[in-house]
Parts: sequence; C-alpha cells; structure tokens
Amino acid sequence: MSTMVKKANAFEILNHWVMAVSFIILAVTGYGFLFHLEQLNSIFGNFNAMKNWHNWSGVVFTVSLFFTIFNYLPVSLSFGGDDIGWIFKAGGYFSRKASVPPQDRLNAGQKLLYLIVLLLGTAIAVSGFIIWLMPAAADIRKLILLSHLVHNIGFVLMVTIIPAHIYLATLANPGTFRIMVYGTVPLEWAKKRHAKWVQKMGV
Amino acid sequence: MSRKALVISPELCIGCRGCQTACKSWNQLPAAKTSNKGTAENPPDLTPNLYNKIRYVEMPSESNPVRWLFVSQRCMHCDDAGCMKICPAPGALFKTKEGAVGFDKEKCIGCKLCVAGCPFNVPRYDEKDKITKCHLCSDRISQGLEPACAKTCPTGAISYGDRDSIMRKTQGTGYQKLYGEADLGGLGVLYAFIDAPKVYGMEESPAIPESIVFWHKVLKPLAYWGIGGAVAASFLHYAVFGPKKDEEVK
Repeated sequence: MSTMVKKANAFEILNHWVMAVSFIILAVTGYGFLFHLEQLNSIFGNFNAMKNWHNWSGVVFTVSLFFTIFNYLPVSLSFGGDDIGWIFKAGGYFSRKASVPPQDRLNAGQKLLYLIVLLLGTAIAVSGFIIWLMPAAADIRKLILLSHLVHNIGFVLMVTIIPAHIYLATLANPGTFRIMVYGTVPLEWAKKRHAKWVQKMGV
Repeated sequence: MSRKALVISPELCIGCRGCQTACKSWNQLPAAKTSNKGTAENPPDLTPNLYNKIRYVEMPSESNPVRWLFVSQRCMHCDDAGCMKICPAPGALFKTKEGAVGFDKEKCIGCKLCVAGCPFNVPRYDEKDKITKCHLCSDRISQGLEPACAKTCPTGAISYGDRDSIMRKTQGTGYQKLYGEADLGGLGVLYAFIDAPKVYGMEESPAIPESIVFWHKVLKPLAYWGIGGAVAASFLHYAVFGPKKDEEVK
C-alpha cells in the first residue's frame, strides 16, 4: 500500500460538496427560468416552488462560497513564475509528453478557476440578492436591469466553465476525484502533480 | 380573431375620470384615500388597485392660458412586450387571442422583473407580491364587450375596436401622430396626439431595454452553446488526448 498524504480536510470536502450540489440546483432551475422548462415541474412541482429552490440554494451557495475563501484564496493569490509556465504549456493537457513546472497545492489552472469562480460567484450572488430583495419599483429599474444582466452573464460563464472543471477533476485526471471523497492522495501522485506542495510539507 | 385596440384622443377627454371608476367597478378594486397635492391628478400614480388613471398636464401658453391635457394611462398591450420577454414563469403573462397582455396570479412567481422590463412603468405588485395591471378587460372583450373604460367614456376620448379598422377610422381626425402605430411591434393602446408625445408625458420612441434585447438574442443562445461546447470539448479532448495517466505526468 502506497503512502497517502492528506490534501483536503473534512470541512473542505463538505464545503465543496455543499457548493457543488447547490450550484447544480441553481443551474438547473436557472435553465428552467431561462427557457420556461415546464418539464421541471415534475421535479419541483411548479415555478413558485422552483423559485424558492433557486433563491434558497442561492443562500447556501453564497455561504459555501464565503467559506472557500479560507481553503483556496491564499494559495490562489500566490501566482508565480511556475504558474505562468504552467499556463503557457496549457497544463500539458494538449500533449502526452509535455512536462510542466512544479505546482503548489493547487495548480495554476485550479488557482485561476478559483479566482474566476470567486469573482463570478460574488457577482451572481450580489445581483441575485438585489433582484430577490429589492421592491417592485420603477425608480430602481436601471439597477434591476443591470443585476439581471450581470446575473445572466455570470450564469453563462459558470455553466461553460464548471463542466470543464468537472471533466478535468474526474475523467481527465484519474486519481483526482478521490480527494472529494477521502481527502487523501498517494504520495507518488502528489509528487508528480504538486511537487512544490509536497516539498513544503517536507514529506 | 383580429387584434383589438384602444385609441385615446386626449383632446376629447374632459377629465371626468369615469374610466377610472368604471375600471374599479368592473375589476372590483377598492378605492384608496389620497390627499390633495395641488393638482387635479388623483390618485397620483397607478397602484395595485388602480389599473388606469388620467394624467393631468397643464400647459398654459399666451394664446391659451388654461390648456389642460388629460391623458388616460394604462397597460399599452405591446405586441412585443418587455414584461413578457423578461418573465421567467411560463403563463404568468400571456397574450389573449384579442392581443391583450393578460396575467395569471397563480403562475406569477413574484420576481418583479416585469416591472423593470416594462417601458411604460405599468406593472404593479399586490400585497401578496403578485403582478396586477390592466388586462384590457379580457374577460369582457372575449365575450364581445368593450373594456369598461371605453364603455363608460362619455366623449369618445377612449374608443375600442379591431385595431386595423379603428386606426383607419381615426385617420383624418386631425391628429399629428398616432402614437404606438409601430413601436414595440405596434401597441394595443394608441394615442392620437396633436402635439409631440413628450408634451403628453410620453416617451418619444418607447422600446424594450437594450439589456433585455441583448440577453434575449445573445446570452440565451450562449447559455446552451456554452454548456454544450464545454461538454463537447471535454469529450473531444478525452478522445484525442485521453486521461493524464500517472506514468505520463512529468
């Protein structure tokens, strides 16, 4: 049995699951509102119930987004030369032979993804709460229309980026998904993909 | 069924407010206490219990020191309606076969986006957070009756009929512009103005907000091209490059 190292603690795993599930509910109901998908009534009952699912999942998503700050923001902001090198090689994803610079606990792609998700998630959350909580008044029409636009631009970007994230963390990189279940990875696996992190841990 | 419309001629209106009363009477809407604000305009704005009202515009000039314009306001029943375009709940806002924009409070989810989508500041929200507004007395017109406001108007300032024929009938009655002939796909409430629309307190060329048009034409298609593209690209990548096997990682 190979030596395992801990990559994510229980809180990080739980928070990521909360975020993932709330995101999926938000995206599905979002598509329902966008395209009037009455087929979804078989899941949610009616559009009034679907709105409640959407709004309260939004609250859950916002809370989990807040907690990600502690798990991912410091490492994501430490963007250095090796990260730029990784980006220039596109993470080595477009060649079977490419070697990439040694990476932190998060690789450059994961860092970028996190910063984008934090930015878009905040924009979607703020605009969503404005639409939800502001009164029905024509004098704040511009604010509501701007929020509607921001909410929808954020939505389009999220539903484009997240499937790629899911692919990269499952099919494209065998051995990655187990982090979301057990939080641990084999030391050898970590040395290859997160050399700087392993070095820092001094294993 | 041909599209129905109201044609409103402010110059024929005497400001009696019979239309307001008839509307409340037919739609069983309670009255509200208001206070004198130094103008005969009362109530000052549409409310959840007031589907139509008369705007009082005082335009004193040297030739006519008491020129008063009475502009009967209500939902304009746009052909291409901003409220319907932005509404996320199917069936909450709908077109009747007469071309009126109707609403269904049961299906309304209370998101209030229609308030932002309307170019005419018409939709209001009731105490249960559901949309209310003029529905062109769709329960009356579906039975071949006139809307209550048109029925009660004593001067012919509000006239109702088939949109095409009533527009033809209005021709040659001395108006300068038939407001709403083509705006927003053609309005279901037209004004025979003898002066510029802004004199009557109306926007020159009303339109659906640009952000809603952009959302409808660009963002909505991107919402499925984006996710479809991401999923397709993932499969393509898997087929061409395959997973990153441990022994390949350097």
